[in-house]
Amino acid sequence: MSHKSARLPRRQFLKSALAVGGAIGAPQIIPSSALGLDGFTAPSERVIIGGIGIGNRGTYDLGCFLEQKDVQFVAVCDVKEARRTAVKKMVDSKYGTEKCDTYRDFRELLDRKDIDAVLIATGPNWHATAAMNAAKAGKDMYCEKPCTKNIAQSLILAETMRRTGRVFQAGTQRRNLPHFAFACELARSGKLGKIKKVFAHPAGMQAMMSGWLVPEPEPDKNIVDWDTYLGPAAWRPFNAKQLDGFNFEKGGGLVGGGVLEWGSHCVDLCQWAMGDCAPPVVYNAPKDGQLVAVYENGAELIYRETGWIPLGSCPVRFEGETGWVEAGDSGKLVLSSPELLAGREVAEIGGYPATFHVRDFLDCLKTRSQPKGNADAACNAHIACHAANIALYLNRQVKFDNTTHEFIDDAQANRLRSEALREPWRL
Amino acid sequence: MLFSRIPFGSVCLLTMLLTVSTSTYADDRNASPDKERELLAVLESDSPGAEKAITCKLLAIHGSAAAVPQLARLLENEQLSSWARIALEAIPGPEAKAALRHATNSLTGRLLVGTINSIGVGRDAEAVDLLVTRLQDPDAEVASAAAVALGRIGNPAAAKALRPLLATSSAETRSAVAEGAVLCAERFFLADDHDAAVALYDDVRKADVPRQRILEATRGAILARKSDAGIALLIEQLNSKDLALFQISLSTAREFPGSHIDKALAAELAKAAPERAAMVIHAMADRKETVVLPAVIKAAGQGPKPVRLAAIGALGRVGNDTCLAPLLQAGVESDADLARAAREALSDLPGASVDKEIVSRLAKAEGKSYPLLIELVGKRRISAIPELQKALDNSDKNVRSAALAALGATVPPKNLSILITQFVSPKHADDEAVAKQALMAACIRMPDREVCAEDLSKALAKSEVSSQTALLQILGAVGGTKALQTIGTSAKSSEPELQDAASKLLGEWMTIDAAPVLLDLTKSAPDEKYKARAIRGYIRIARQFVMPEPERLAMCEQALQACRNPGEQKLLFDILKRYPSIDTLKMALKLTQDVPELKDDGTQAVMAIAQKLNTKGDEVVELLSKGGLGKVKLEILKAEYGAGPTQKDVTETLQKQASDFQLVSLPQSGYNESFGGDPAPNTVKQLKVQYRINGKDGQATFAENALIVLPMPK
Repeated sequence: MSHKSARLPRRQFLKSALAVGGAIGAPQIIPSSALGLDGFTAPSERVIIGGIGIGNRGTYDLGCFLEQKDVQFVAVCDVKEARRTAVKKMVDSKYGTEKCDTYRDFRELLDRKDIDAVLIATGPNWHATAAMNAAKAGKDMYCEKPCTKNIAQSLILAETMRRTGRVFQAGTQRRNLPHFAFACELARSGKLGKIKKVFAHPAGMQAMMSGWLVPEPEPDKNIVDWDTYLGPAAWRPFNAKQLDGFNFEKGGGLVGGGVLEWGSHCVDLCQWAMGDCAPPVVYNAPKDGQLVAVYENGAELIYRETGWIPLGSCPVRFEGETGWVEAGDSGKLVLSSPELLAGREVAEIGGYPATFHVRDFLDCLKTRSQPKGNADAACNAHIACHAANIALYLNRQVKFDNTTHEFIDDAQANRLRSEALREPWRL
Repeated sequence: MLFSRIPFGSVCLLTMLLTVSTSTYADDRNASPDKERELLAVLESDSPGAEKAITCKLLAIHGSAAAVPQLARLLENEQLSSWARIALEAIPGPEAKAALRHATNSLTGRLLVGTINSIGVGRDAEAVDLLVTRLQDPDAEVASAAAVALGRIGNPAAAKALRPLLATSSAETRSAVAEGAVLCAERFFLADDHDAAVALYDDVRKADVPRQRILEATRGAILARKSDAGIALLIEQLNSKDLALFQISLSTAREFPGSHIDKALAAELAKAAPERAAMVIHAMADRKETVVLPAVIKAAGQGPKPVRLAAIGALGRVGNDTCLAPLLQAGVESDADLARAAREALSDLPGASVDKEIVSRLAKAEGKSYPLLIELVGKRRISAIPELQKALDNSDKNVRSAALAALGATVPPKNLSILITQFVSPKHADDEAVAKQALMAACIRMPDREVCAEDLSKALAKSEVSSQTALLQILGAVGGTKALQTIGTSAKSSEPELQDAASKLLGEWMTIDAAPVLLDLTKSAPDEKYKARAIRGYIRIARQFVMPEPERLAMCEQALQACRNPGEQKLLFDILKRYPSIDTLKMALKLTQDVPELKDDGTQAVMAIAQKLNTKGDEVVELLSKGGLGKVKLEILKAEYGAGPTQKDVTETLQKQASDFQLVSLPQSGYNESFGGDPAPNTVKQLKVQYRINGKDGQATFAENALIVLPMPK
């Protein structure tokens, strides 16, 4: 992720959020004091955080963490020396110390017993593998999206978090913004009638490739650790053009791309609107700029490029038998009927800040509750993206069985469910 | 990353491999032997590694048993082994599994680790013996991989091999052995062999293994024991001095089936230390269906403040009508935090009977409880109009304000006049602001906005100017035909305040029907500044809203007629660029030619439109030539992207993208993406280009992500 967005002071948000009132309108953020947490957070009980892969997006996330009074950021790991140095400077400057440690190999950071949780903001190539390693090392984590490269990884992610008992928050920060939360709640609570269609804007429904470029002289490991950068991705020679982690091996190459990049946000919101149910079971071939998937109950999840009310990026729309709602990154909502507001004022927060999502993570880390972007929710939303990408790639309908987690009578699609990791990495 | 950058390899193969359009594999429902043979020919050839790599990936889709031997040969190739395993993991059937097993005989180090990992992914039961042997491998990474692979296979033989190693394996492999054992136990549990699962989990719990493995085994041991034995073990952890065990007990409690666990948690809550009691309450409340409410109610009413706060919050989420009285009591406590938490909980408290009870209490309420109950009527959307009307006459401003806010949230259409009257002619002057807010809240939720707008328009006609401005704002929020009409009329009134408010509202209107009203105002607004505002509003609608393209073009023509200066005309380029067509290109060209001040902006717009019309090349070129913006001979001499001393040479990229026009389009949407990464993170960057057009040298600098239109050198 490289999208820049504004951060709001927490107090300002809580004021907005609390002004909303009512179960439907509220963004469902509970201030720490109401959780019974504030009174027990002595300095010695701060959440100790380390960062893995802190580039552009990671720096933004890190800023959100550093705003939190109960966070102590102590170490950064990055395969690029320039990033290690920049983050250390940022953190040390914040605390007025020289104590932020730097690592090239994230396993050394995970070995530290004092670290409670990690911020994983590598490129998507590393998200799932780093998350699984962190969980097995006993760390809770806030992990940027897209969190997985394929269907199998999505399932293993959810299983691993259950098995290890770790708190996982995907970087799906829109779940903690009031207007999106309100729109999803309208859908979930039946205020729109039975849901017939949910719409997501994948912004670029085409596959992206990550290949093997012309070899270039490999830098010293301490400058750029290419082997670790490749990590679970199949081997290829060094080429500086591939150092942009944002696009490298998104979705593993053949079937990644647009649906996954934005879908991990907007499809995720559609899933939330549908009650975080199992992902759709039928994915049709794309036609006229849209791809229609169908849930078990007959409702449709429609990935479409155009036809949106101008409400900013990442729009979603939920249509029920009696009403509809559309929302986007401007922080605004459009409703089929003003009655749906039922007198509520929904706080309008544009620019998709992550501050509240980070707070949600930290609160859940303490209570061991499930945050909004928990691993099960992320698993289902990512499967909906991966399966759509497979239908897109094969240019035909595929049918998915949510019990076996396999495509039905479709050997070709099933071969795209997973992909081997480069040695020595495993999930 | 684009494969088209690969400078080697056969053109036809690359075309086949790299064209990732959605139609390329449209007919590949079943693996095609021809395609497989074609791919295998690449593996057999002297093709570069890049081609063989992607061939492996495609064999994952198109390969069969016939591809296995060649793929297996690549397992010892350090560069291609990982690519080969992508295919070998994907190809179904015994051949691929056998090849992976066989390869372990000769591989060492990381390549062996990768192959063992693939065996684990395939859950190949036939590999158990060889994996057991590898458990003793001197290379700890190999032994660890074998342990985890055995765990994934998860049969009794695997468990039998792993169990003794929990005590005897080296420190380096112990964690992986425990991981394998936990995975095995999980398999047993899923297969309903709970006794075997419990035994294995317990072995791990007792072993000298990393803390996280013990936590995983503890969770498993609790769930596999089920019922009373599981609960007993869970409670033991809940009382552990070890924070990690306490935490795993909380997350496991949320998973535990049945309702006995809820009673056990309730019993423990009474005994828990304050710093843990709040956490227990959260776990209890997360079990919404079976939570023991009396225990949470008790915690909400007395005890340390953080515990009370947690309990009050929990009641708001999972409580029922039995929680009303204690929460009402907490809602008027002197402690502001507790009172606020209770009020929020009361707003959310589930149950229809709660509403009935609140209205019943309202009739006899007094003191602090009175405004609290009124507030709840509003927040819970309870119908209690007579009670709220009565409260409007109360001498206490807090009571009146609460009543107004509650009316805003609940008043039905037939009673909207109550709020209109309260706003236009309030009994108490200091109620006006609250009344306005309440009226706004009520109006925007009215089911028939035309009826609502009619009521507001009538009130507006009879009001003072100060109230009229506020009513216009409310009408703007309501929207619809009548509101639009009233606001349009107000924009032409003789009152400057109304002109200002109305023209602002029209400029932000969210439906397309404001266009004719705005167009009319471009000519008839009483003040020049409102005419300018109307033109911008009209152009905004043409730019942002969905409409048939001929209609949009007609709006552009109308806007052009209405524009009074180049500054306004320039705004049209944003529309034309956003909806590229031959027609918008023609209009942009005409504007560029007719208005000398717009030459630079117009040229940029024309080029941007032309670039997007690449399927209509001839027609575009002809139009550009006629407009004096035809093809040029462009050479990129040097290009650098970055900030200060940190500059990246991007000459090659720009040279590749240069065409016969002054505009250079990039392969990706942003500079960073197009130029292979961000050369100077978190700093303002520029692109500097030296170039030659038709033999004349020029140079230009562009801000990050600006459209690259190279000026014609002088």
